[in-house]
Amino acid sequence: MVITFITIFAIGIAAGVVGAILGLGGGIIIVPALTLGFGMPMRTAVAASTVCIIATSTGAAVAFLRDRLTNTRVAIWLEMGTSMGALTGALVAALVNQRVLFVLFGLLLAYSAYNMFRTRKEHARPEVIPDAISAKLRLGGSYYDKALGRRVEYQVTRTLPGLVIMYFSGAAAGLLGIGAGIFKVPAMDQVMGMPFKASSATSNFMIGVTAASGAVVYFARGDVKPLVAGPVVLGVLLGAILGARLMMRMPASKIRLFFMPILAYTAIEMIYKGVKWW
Amino acid sequence: MVGIDPEEKAAEHPIELVLARLLRLGSLVAAALLAVGIALMVLGQSAVAPRLITAGLLVLLGTPVLRVLVAAVIFVKERDWHFALFSLVVLCAVAAGIYFGKGM
Repeated sequence: MVITFITIFAIGIAAGVVGAILGLGGGIIIVPALTLGFGMPMRTAVAASTVCIIATSTGAAVAFLRDRLTNTRVAIWLEMGTSMGALTGALVAALVNQRVLFVLFGLLLAYSAYNMFRTRKEHARPEVIPDAISAKLRLGGSYYDKALGRRVEYQVTRTLPGLVIMYFSGAAAGLLGIGAGIFKVPAMDQVMGMPFKASSATSNFMIGVTAASGAVVYFARGDVKPLVAGPVVLGVLLGAILGARLMMRMPASKIRLFFMPILAYTAIEMIYKGVKWW
Repeated sequence: MVGIDPEEKAAEHPIELVLARLLRLGSLVAAALLAVGIALMVLGQSAVAPRLITAGLLVLLGTPVLRVLVAAVIFVKERDWHFALFSLVVLCAVAAGIYFGKGM
């Protein structure tokens, strides 16, 4: 039993590191590891993974907030979209065809993977001119990039389309039981013109709130098994703290390179899940 | 390369620091409860251990919700009404989600 605990703990650390660097919840590692590796039921794995999303978000946010990598104003603006979306998703989950959704969201991810590949060189990106809302709400920001050794100033644009995309990413989280960080990072990076590191840190900050309302449902149903969730969540917390420190010293281009295959893989996986039974 | 940016110190960002402190407190309390719970489990104290672990998980769960609440209070204090309203919308959506979610 001790060996199992240690293995689950180690998986948690790995998921926390990856999740913190990429602005995702780490569910992409935890769910397959617990179901395929330990033969646990899907519900137990997804419930543990949801609590892990909160752990990644909370653990990594401390370092990101201190280094001003997180844009709290953008986060709160966009959280309106994600939280309303998650609410809608949870309410209509029983009414809609999940397979169609998987395909739709998979195609959307494939499109953002393609876009991210196209604009993979940071300097190839056009200059960002803030829109009226961004200027009024002072959404632009700056952070000190430890990898570049200089301060990065940036502006935010397309604030309303960003909010709408966040609504759908929140709905995806509610409907499909996933952490929607994989939608949030491209929405900020590709659509709103934020630097990749600020997008990742801000996504990381937001996923905790999206996951919290979902986690309550799993707790109420008794799907959160303390003996499974305990070690994995403790591992994720430590991994996220470590991952946040690593991320701040990594060049953004490396992180993007790391993000793209995960995005492409998730897109294929979602489309596959959607068409599997047709 | 890792040196501290002089502007960093001069810049005043109270909200980030308050939220960072809150999240650190939440993760420390949760981590401590989880670690003690797991240690007791390994030592064979199977009666108390799951309760401690569950308590740790619940602290972790409450932290992001508390974070939105604290942000709302800071924005109200700063008379930043737009963002106070945004935080309130988020809180209402999360509360409604919990309310409807529990019934499912």
